[in-house]
Amino acid sequence: MSMEIRYIEEAHPETGLNNSKLGIWLFLASEVMLFGALFSSYIILRVGSADWPRGAEILSIPMATFNTFALIASSVTMVMSWASLKLNDFGKFRLYMGLTILLAFLFLVVKYFEYTAKFSHGLYPSTNTFLAIYFTITGLHGIHILAGIIVNGYLWGPGSTLWTTKPEMFTNRVEAAGLYWHFVDLVWIFLFPVLYLL
Amino acid sequence: MSLKAFHIFFIAIATLMCFGIAVWQVVAYSATGSMAQLGQALGSAIAGIGLIFYGVSFVRKTKALHLSDI
Amino acid sequence: MSAGGGLYLGLRISFQTRRWGTESMSDGHHHEELPFWRKYIFSVDHKVIGIQYAVTSLVFLFFGFCLMMLMRWQLAYPGQPIPFIGGLFSDATAPGGVMLPEYYNQLGAMHGTIMVFLGVVPLSVGGFGNYIMPLQIGAPDMAFPKLNMASYWVYLIGGTIMVLSFFIPEGGAAQSGWTSYPPLSVVAQEGQTWWLLGMLFLIFSSLLGSVNFITTIMHLRAPGMTMMRLPFFVWAQFVTSFLLLLAFPPLQAAATLQFMDRVFATSFFLPTGLVVGGAPAAISGGGNPLLWQHLFWFLAHPEVYVLILPAFGIITEIIANNTRKPLWGYKSMVYAICFLGFMSFVVWAHHMFMTGMGNFMSMFFQTTTMIISIPSVILLTALLISLWGGAIRFTVPMLFALAFLPMFGIGGLTGLPLGLASPDIHLHDTYYVIGHFHYVVAPGTLFALFAGIYYWFPKAVGRHTNVWLGRIHFYGSFVCANLVFMPMFFQGMAGTSRRLYDQTFYTHGAAVQDLTILSSFGAWGLGFFQLFFIVNFFVSMFAGKKVESDNPWDATTLEWATPTPPPHGNFLAPPKCYRGPYEYSVPGMSADFQPQGEV
Repeated sequence: MSMEIRYIEEAHPETGLNNSKLGIWLFLASEVMLFGALFSSYIILRVGSADWPRGAEILSIPMATFNTFALIASSVTMVMSWASLKLNDFGKFRLYMGLTILLAFLFLVVKYFEYTAKFSHGLYPSTNTFLAIYFTITGLHGIHILAGIIVNGYLWGPGSTLWTTKPEMFTNRVEAAGLYWHFVDLVWIFLFPVLYLL
Repeated sequence: MSLKAFHIFFIAIATLMCFGIAVWQVVAYSATGSMAQLGQALGSAIAGIGLIFYGVSFVRKTKALHLSDI
Repeated sequence: MSAGGGLYLGLRISFQTRRWGTESMSDGHHHEELPFWRKYIFSVDHKVIGIQYAVTSLVFLFFGFCLMMLMRWQLAYPGQPIPFIGGLFSDATAPGGVMLPEYYNQLGAMHGTIMVFLGVVPLSVGGFGNYIMPLQIGAPDMAFPKLNMASYWVYLIGGTIMVLSFFIPEGGAAQSGWTSYPPLSVVAQEGQTWWLLGMLFLIFSSLLGSVNFITTIMHLRAPGMTMMRLPFFVWAQFVTSFLLLLAFPPLQAAATLQFMDRVFATSFFLPTGLVVGGAPAAISGGGNPLLWQHLFWFLAHPEVYVLILPAFGIITEIIANNTRKPLWGYKSMVYAICFLGFMSFVVWAHHMFMTGMGNFMSMFFQTTTMIISIPSVILLTALLISLWGGAIRFTVPMLFALAFLPMFGIGGLTGLPLGLASPDIHLHDTYYVIGHFHYVVAPGTLFALFAGIYYWFPKAVGRHTNVWLGRIHFYGSFVCANLVFMPMFFQGMAGTSRRLYDQTFYTHGAAVQDLTILSSFGAWGLGFFQLFFIVNFFVSMFAGKKVESDNPWDATTLEWATPTPPPHGNFLAPPKCYRGPYEYSVPGMSADFQPQGEV
């Protein structure tokens, strides 16, 4: 008798998406509003400020550049891992997903050194409003990266047993995680020039 | 939008960012004359071109492999 | 304390309904037995979660109402010890029963926060939305059942943090109003940090919920259930979910920034040269207090519509059912509610005319505010015209629904002067504003929610509520609610500021003190008449008249096509939808209603 929840795997004929993909896009829409509000706050604070420092003079551009490429590369490996599943190659999925996690981890390590370098120079969030917004936005972005590592780590490790029972569903999950991961990378692509260069 | 489409969009934005930085650094170089900035401009431009090549090959490869974008 | 109580009650009720649920399923449908804690506590069934939400939020509503009744004593008889229970308070709150100003501020801030974020929204969206919406669209459950469960538990954590903050030894709960305006909120005591933490959880909970709702409505509709055949309640939930999804994140951002201000000593909302307690504050400065107000109201104005739209949805269902005729102007109502949802994102700064943000901004926002009144009027007018020529059944839910219309009308019309900058400057921050929005939310939304409880109670529990207790509850609440809020308009126009601890301190405040006393007695009377509801609720749950039909109100929508109470999976056979939602009194038919799910 029991009715099943439909469109868990197959796409809905009208939206062309399955449930999880629609859900993740809605979630990303709210994330756009979250980071949008923070960017707007940045603009308002900067416009109202008498002497806003240039990011380039305080922050480390080489470290950030390295991190930018780490994230771009991680989104490439992310899409590769999904494509590997599409091509039925579980071993390659493991490899690429592992690389994605590694690159994300690398990002956080570099970020850690960036933060501690600031602290050792006596630069804290309370120092001025520029540093405050820098630490807040990058910190929040860092939490998103951490969440991505956890999700991807789950899909790489314990979650991957689903591949043997429901390969289609597992591929969908990896795709949803990939959409999230691309969004987090995309935020950084905007963060980098805004905070470090402008 | 599928992951494939989002990936292409992402690479496009990243490419734009690279070229944007390159232009910005060239302008900064013309003001300061610092060779480091010229170098960074060059690096960004190269990265942008690299991303274009990657993007095109990604589109070609996914087409060749018939990766449907559900 | 109240959260725990709510949990316990939620358990009892879901246990009760599930027991009947298994009874009604016993005719040939066996289900694998889940352990107790999976079935009633960590359940993924949208109906159990809906009931958990509803009962928890009802407890919070009552708790928030009690805070207000305490405040009304201080307002009516300033400086006099609280009778009966005055001895129970600690020296930090009300020594000898006389309320301290700090404690009054805590009660005020927490009354607003609890009523809005822990009471009305979780009841109308989490409770009614969760329980009714999947049934009405013919779905077996929500699209993401586990996410649904998570959203309830995150909500409970947020609510618990809020309530626990009363017990912080240093300063108690937040004192800066439900709007938490900086710089006051940033320099306030510990409780404000807890408030921010609680809000972060609540926002996350509503985010999970709204993603779930939208996906469910878009994907899990039964065959034949097109968007234009959706019951209006579902449309209301759909638009509400978009508001929650897109308007809450900016508050998340704002709360994060204020959290940084408080914990990491940043100055996002603290201007340069801020003086606290006569000494310059040790801050870097450069912040902007108005930024908080913009971010806050960017959420909180859509939030107003989050409060009111589900109420409209409930009222619509009940009016169509009890007038026995099709809704007048269903399509225009749908377009109006979509337009309303969109416009609610561009009116927020009409809460900020007093800040001196400039004539151009004021002009823009008063224009959009006048525009947004149009769809609200369309909704109300369509409902009023729907009554015309109907064979009205004055059931208890219908009484509440009928009262909703003029009450919301008063609330809405008194809002017009507030939407225009020049009258707003006189009326803002007076009791007029309190009267205005309480007319919208208390005799407006809350009456709609009571209507909904009386209307769907037979479906959820399998027993009828007592009609006479319901009528006493209605007439008493109706009279008392007007006694509470009508005097506030006159007080406000006389210039009495809101948030005053003791208005008799001012001559113009003392002049309208009689109205304050009247208002306070109205509030306590309102509290008294809620006892009839509470008694009715519990007695009917265990000893009410059993429901004989699955469709006791002769309604058309799909939730009445389920067994009573609906089992796990909701429908015995996959439902199909054949027609629009309000096919009442179709000429030539033998019955005066044609259910959506019957050929």
